[in-house]
Amino acid sequence: MNDDEKDVLRLRLYVAGDAPNSVVAVAHLRSVIEECASGRADVEIVDILRDPERGLRDGVFVTPMLVKFEPLPERRVLGSLGDRRFLLAVLGLNETPGE
Amino acid sequence: MEQSQSLAATSRMPTGIAGFDEVADGGLPRGAVTVVLGGVGTGKTTFGMQVLAKGALEHNEPGILVAFEESAGRVVANTSGFVWGGEALKDRGVHAIDAQLSQWVEQSGEFDLIGLLAIVAAKAKEVGGRRVVFDGIDVLLSCLGDAASIRREAFRLRDWVNQSGLSAIVTAKADHWGQASATDFDFLEFMADCVVTLHNRVVQGIALRFVRVAKYRGAANSGNEFPLVITTAGLEIAANATLRLSYPVSADRVSSGVERLDSMLTGGYYRGSSILITGVPGTAKTSLSAAFAEGAARRGQRTLYVSFDEAPEQVVRNVASIGLQLAPHIEDGTLVLKSLRGRAASPEAHVAQIRAFLAETEPQHLVVDPLSALFQHGFDQVSEGAALQILDVAKSRGVTMIFTSLLASSTGLAEQTPINISAIADTWIHVANVNQGGERNRTLTIVKSRGTAHSNQVRELVLTNEGITLADVYSVGGEVLLGTLRWEKEIADQRAREGERNDAIVLKQRAELALAETRFELTTLAQRRAIQEEELAQLQKRTTAEVDTRVDEDQERLQRRSADPTDSPSAVADQGVDPDPTGPQ
Repeated sequence: MNDDEKDVLRLRLYVAGDAPNSVVAVAHLRSVIEECASGRADVEIVDILRDPERGLRDGVFVTPMLVKFEPLPERRVLGSLGDRRFLLAVLGLNETPGE
Repeated sequence: MEQSQSLAATSRMPTGIAGFDEVADGGLPRGAVTVVLGGVGTGKTTFGMQVLAKGALEHNEPGILVAFEESAGRVVANTSGFVWGGEALKDRGVHAIDAQLSQWVEQSGEFDLIGLLAIVAAKAKEVGGRRVVFDGIDVLLSCLGDAASIRREAFRLRDWVNQSGLSAIVTAKADHWGQASATDFDFLEFMADCVVTLHNRVVQGIALRFVRVAKYRGAANSGNEFPLVITTAGLEIAANATLRLSYPVSADRVSSGVERLDSMLTGGYYRGSSILITGVPGTAKTSLSAAFAEGAARRGQRTLYVSFDEAPEQVVRNVASIGLQLAPHIEDGTLVLKSLRGRAASPEAHVAQIRAFLAETEPQHLVVDPLSALFQHGFDQVSEGAALQILDVAKSRGVTMIFTSLLASSTGLAEQTPINISAIADTWIHVANVNQGGERNRTLTIVKSRGTAHSNQVRELVLTNEGITLADVYSVGGEVLLGTLRWEKEIADQRAREGERNDAIVLKQRAELALAETRFELTTLAQRRAIQEEELAQLQKRTTAEVDTRVDEDQERLQRRSADPTDSPSAVADQGVDPDPTGPQ
C-alpha cells in the first residue's frame, strides 16, 4: 500500500491546442491527478499544434492521447478521458476516500 | 472563355491511372476531397498510391500517405510489384505517415483529427506536398463511435483540405452496400467533391474489377461503370473496344522467318499488320511464330513474345528442336518472352498486362500465342473485346502482330475460329494436319492476305532440325499428296524427267543432224547453182565467139577475093551480111 503510493506517475498528454476534446482531456486528467495522485505525478503536456514534429517523432497523431510511461506497463488512452473510473484504473490509482 | 478553360485544366489533378482521367473530367478535383470507396481487395490503396507516385514521379508533386489501416511501411512495400512502386518512392517524393492506431491504444471519451491534420500540414510544408492520401480512414473514424462525431470530423477534414490547398484522396471500406455498417459513412460521399467507387464482381469464377465515378461536383459525369484492371503498370481502365479506323500504314515488308512463305506472300508480311495463324494443337503454330520472332531478332528487331500457359523455358526448349535458338536473343534483349496464365486473370486484365509489356519493352513486333487463351472463360463479349483491344494497341503502335488461335478440331475452320478477329486480321494463315498413307503431315494455306498477291496454293509445312520450310505439294486426281507419298511422287517424277531428258538428247541430235543435212544440201545446191551459172556463162561466151570468127573468116575470104574483086559473085551476097561499108568497094 505504501509502496504503491510512493510510485511516481510519469505521464504525457498530447493535445491539439485548445481543441474542445483536448481541453476536456486536460481538465479530466488534472482533476484526477490533483485529487488522487497529488505531488507524485510527472505530467508533460505536448501541444501538437505548436510542435507537430514531436507528434511525428513520437508516432502520436490523434489527439487527445494520454501515454502512461511509468509505472509499467505503458498504456495509451485515446480520447477526452471522460470516464473517471477507467482513467483511475489505467493510472493504477484509487479514489481517495472523502476529503 | 480561354481563361475559364485553363482554370478548368489546372483545377484537375492527373491521376496517372491510364484511362481514368478521360472518364473523370480530366482528373480528380484539385484542392478538394475525393473519396474512394470499395470493398476489401478492390484496389483502394493502390488507387491512392498510384496517384501519389505518379504525382511525385511525373508531375513533380510530392505527396503524403497517411496510413490508418496498415503500417505505412507495408503499404509502400506492397507497391513494389508496380513499375512505379517500391521502397524507392520514399526518396522520390512520396512521404509516409504511419497513423495506424496501435492495438494497445485504449479509448475513453471523444477525440478529433485536429492534431493529425496539424501534423500532416507540417509535413506538407516541410516536403512541399501537393497531394495527400488518407488511406483507410474508416478505421479511425469508426472509433469515434457515434454518427455525429464521424460527421463532424469528416467535415473538419474537408474544410482543412480546402484551406490547405492540398488535393486529398480519402479511402474507406464500403463492404456491404445498403447495410448498416456502410450507412454511417454515407456522409463521406456527401461531403466529398468527388466520389469514386471500386468493386469486384465474380463472373464464372473470375473476378472482374470495375470503377465508377459516382459523384463529381461541378463536372459533367456519366456515372458509368468501367472495367478496371491491375497490372505491373498499376490500375488501368480497360477502355471499351473501340477500333480505330486509321492506323499507321506501312509498305515495308517483314520476313515471316520462313523463306518460302515470304515468296508465297510476295515478300513477307506488311510491317504493322496483323497475322492470324490458326490450327489445331500440334500444327506448328508456335514454330511459325517463333521462326518469325527469331528472324526478326537476327535482324535486330525487338519482338515481344507473349506465351499463354507455357513457361518461357518451355518455349525456348521446344523450338530449339527445330533449330530455332531463342536464348541468345533473349539474353541480348531483342526477344522479350513473357508467360501469362490464361485462367489466372480476366481477359481485360490480360489485355492491360500485354499493354503494359508493350509500353515497357517498346517492341517492333508482337506475338501472342495463343490469343485464343483469352477465350477459355467463355465470356464471348468480354473476350472478343479483349482480343480486339490487343489488336488495336498493336496496330496503333505500328507493331506487327502475330497471333495464333487454337482450334478444337480440324473441321469447320470458319465456325471454329472463336472470334471474328479472323475478319480483322490482315493475313490469315491456316495450318492443318492431313492424314494420308498412314502418315500425319502438315499443310499451310494462306487463307487471305490483304494487299498481297499471295499464292493460293496449299504447301506442305516441313519441320526439320534446321528450321521450317515449305514444300510443293502434288495433287493426283484432286487429292493433295504429302509426306512419303509426296516423296515417292517426286522420285517417280524425277525418273520420268530423266527419261524425257534422254529422249530429248536423241531428238536434239536428230534435229542437229537434220539441220546439218539441210545445210549440206544448201551448200551442194549452191555449188550446183554456181556450176550451172558458170556453164551458162561459158555457153554465152561461146555463142558470141563463133560469130566473130565467121566475120573474120569472111574478111579473109574477101581479102583473098580482092585480088580479083570483080569476079566474085558471092561478094554481092556477102555485102548484106558484112556491116563494114568499106568492104565491097
